[in-house]
Amino acid sequence: MLPRLLIFVVFMLSAVFAAGEASCAEPRKPTEHDVKAAFIFNFAKFVDWPPGKLQESGTIMNVCVVGDAPLGAALEAIEGKIAGGKRIKIKLEPPQQSQGNCSILFVGDSEKEQLGRILETVKNASVLTIGDTKGFGQQGVMINFFMEEKRVRFEINPKAAGRAGLKVSSNLLKIARIVGAP
Amino acid sequence: MKQLLHGMFVAVYFGVLLTLLPDAALAGTGDETADPATDLTTLSPEELMKVEVATVYSASKFEQKVTEAPASVSIVTADEIRKYGYRTLSDILRSLRSFNITYDRNYTFVGVRGFGRAGDYNSRILLQVDGHRLNDNVYSLALIGTEFPVDVDLIDRVEVVRGPGSSLYGNDAFFAVVNVITRRGGDLRGAELSGEAGSFDTYKARATYGNLFKNGMEALLSGSYYDSTGDRLFFKEFDAPATNNGITDHTDYDSFYNTLAKFSHAGFTLEGVYSSRTKGIPTASYGTDFNEPRNKTVDDWWFADLKYERSLGSRLAVTGRLFYDIYDYRGDYIYSGVVNKDLGYGSWWGGEAKVAATLLDRHKLVVGAEYQDNLHQDQKNYNLDPYELFVDDRRNSYLVAGYIQDEITIFRNLLLNAGVRYDYYSTFGSTVNPRLALIYTPIDGSVIKLLYGSAFRAPNVYELYLQSASTGMKGNPDLKPEKIKTYELIYEQYIGNSIRGTVTGFYYDINDLIIQVTDPADGLLVFRNLDDVKAEGAEAELEEKWDNGLTGKVSYSFVHAENSATGQTLVNSPQHLVKLNVTVPLIRDKVFLGIQELLTSRRKTLAGNFAKSYYITNLTLFSQNLLKNLELSASLYNLYDYKYGDPGGNEHVEDVIPQDGRVFRVKLTYRF
Repeated sequence: MLPRLLIFVVFMLSAVFAAGEASCAEPRKPTEHDVKAAFIFNFAKFVDWPPGKLQESGTIMNVCVVGDAPLGAALEAIEGKIAGGKRIKIKLEPPQQSQGNCSILFVGDSEKEQLGRILETVKNASVLTIGDTKGFGQQGVMINFFMEEKRVRFEINPKAAGRAGLKVSSNLLKIARIVGAP
Repeated sequence: MKQLLHGMFVAVYFGVLLTLLPDAALAGTGDETADPATDLTTLSPEELMKVEVATVYSASKFEQKVTEAPASVSIVTADEIRKYGYRTLSDILRSLRSFNITYDRNYTFVGVRGFGRAGDYNSRILLQVDGHRLNDNVYSLALIGTEFPVDVDLIDRVEVVRGPGSSLYGNDAFFAVVNVITRRGGDLRGAELSGEAGSFDTYKARATYGNLFKNGMEALLSGSYYDSTGDRLFFKEFDAPATNNGITDHTDYDSFYNTLAKFSHAGFTLEGVYSSRTKGIPTASYGTDFNEPRNKTVDDWWFADLKYERSLGSRLAVTGRLFYDIYDYRGDYIYSGVVNKDLGYGSWWGGEAKVAATLLDRHKLVVGAEYQDNLHQDQKNYNLDPYELFVDDRRNSYLVAGYIQDEITIFRNLLLNAGVRYDYYSTFGSTVNPRLALIYTPIDGSVIKLLYGSAFRAPNVYELYLQSASTGMKGNPDLKPEKIKTYELIYEQYIGNSIRGTVTGFYYDINDLIIQVTDPADGLLVFRNLDDVKAEGAEAELEEKWDNGLTGKVSYSFVHAENSATGQTLVNSPQHLVKLNVTVPLIRDKVFLGIQELLTSRRKTLAGNFAKSYYITNLTLFSQNLLKNLELSASLYNLYDYKYGDPGGNEHVEDVIPQDGRVFRVKLTYRF
């Protein structure tokens, strides 16, 4: 009976420890979504859209999110910032709408069955497509995030970007993993 | 009884803890200072690459696959396999609601929702590896213990779909479909070496290499070796001076070696597996000599599987598969010193083709066809010396099947999933099995499913044709398939991304159940479609996953199953099952404590007695990256050394077969 009681006490202590861990005020580490949002801001700065082919008129650049990506909330951090002379606006599109008027389109994991259709609808426009689902890069998404240990990385599909007339700056290409399905 | 109460207390305690914990977690985050994301936007891409993020367990995303599935689905991930120290596929299934595992110290058997007769060959669950059927064509058994052909460390996830699956998969998908999905080469990106040591002189070594190459090809190669000497055991039924006073040593040995190779490129995947497992038989089953180390069974499996998957646009996908399998069973049974060789040999090849299409935005259609040619379905039995042949049965047969399933979106939140499959077997003829499911999502996060389905189990060549004078058995070529009809109502509730609750009620009716009886006319044993089983039950499950790594899952199942011809409750059918799994992060992201509590109520034995209820606690201390690329774990199974047993089968003198007491294991895995 005694060893059993002891073990039980250990369980309780460990549970309490975990509870304490969860509630102690450690400085909040950024989440992967915070880092991805910051990367997207950089992509807006370091990708060249063909002149006159930006989706929006005037001085706005729309960053649209399709699918219920948790990234949507983190993107508020870059709302209103200036990239390449344009002011960033975040638009959270419901999945069935057309993805017009977006210079940057982020496709969330929940839309992975629809990816083909989504990529079809932006095929002839100069839209920078971004994702964070395994395999998206191979399937034609131009920049696809993935996790390596606890760091955010991304892969670039330069052929897909090239087909849309977009030029990705070399300082992004040199730190990215390159994927290239024909 | 005390154990039962203790178990319930722990389950309730953790249940309460899990519900209270989130408040504690949320309370702490109110006082961080600057929003780190703002600071991040000033960083260059190179600097962003260096930022370490707080891990959010994306495994907490409850996939659409689960919510829209026309069934109750459970998924066990590689992460859980490591944290709970699961040693075999049977350990994995044992942790799941609805499943009851029994072990006769030779093979491991699974019972689902109250049905799992002692000595049944697991032919009523369909086992797959990466979609490749792994029930053989002689005994249709699903090998789930150490005899399972793939090392558990190579598993990426196990998807368990409860309920009748014959409308898609045909034979054996009676109670559940268990698909074991192996890891991808790209997930390894290098080599992995693993070593284990444990009680009873048990060791395992594994070497694995996997990679994703620049040209898109992915490769995974692995080999494992396992050897366990086994414990000295005592069986009271043999407690007599002539049989060593019931003590047997060096007969519970268990060893296997297996290899797996998987290559993928441009939509093609070629997978090959070879495995061989040898087990000693300490129970002296089938009337063999007691304490004889030469009593053993060897199970070998080879398979090669070539799959091709291709999406044509976003609305059409085709899959093609070609496979070839060999299952080779050899048993040595010693009778008064004479070696009896029992052999089963099956080889088969086949192909499947499947087309999945989305039509008119409302229909997700799946149409498929399957063909399997059973080249060999051979059984042989003879005494070695003096030579005497008892059985030499060779068969071949084939099956052809076609199926269609449509998921119709009636309204945005109401799906109707209807499917049917036609199977033609050259042995018994044809069978048609439908499935219907209504899936209703009244509000986001709540799902109600109403299901009906039928499934079949084909009589295997062992039941159809085996005649043996030595064991007094004869065949019955007129056997029909067993049929089950299942009705189920499921309610699933999701709260955010981290809490999931499920409540289900089910009723099933099995007809033409094949049992072995003695024919009064000649006194020989024969299989007949005689039995009828009805069962009803209810289950509840709650699962929670938190950002800091704390996870918890608790489930309770109740089932009442009885033979409707005799009105008797079934053998080896536990009425109550309680399962608790908790992972506690001791050092965030690095050290975890995995706690498992399993409660199984008493089970009737063949002699009409009861194997008493039991309560098992398993503990695993798991660490990753304390030293870079190193995983270490230490596990204690059956922590309280609870003495319990499982009902024996017809071939056992033992009414109840004693199971292991406290067992330990340490494991080390290193990545290059």
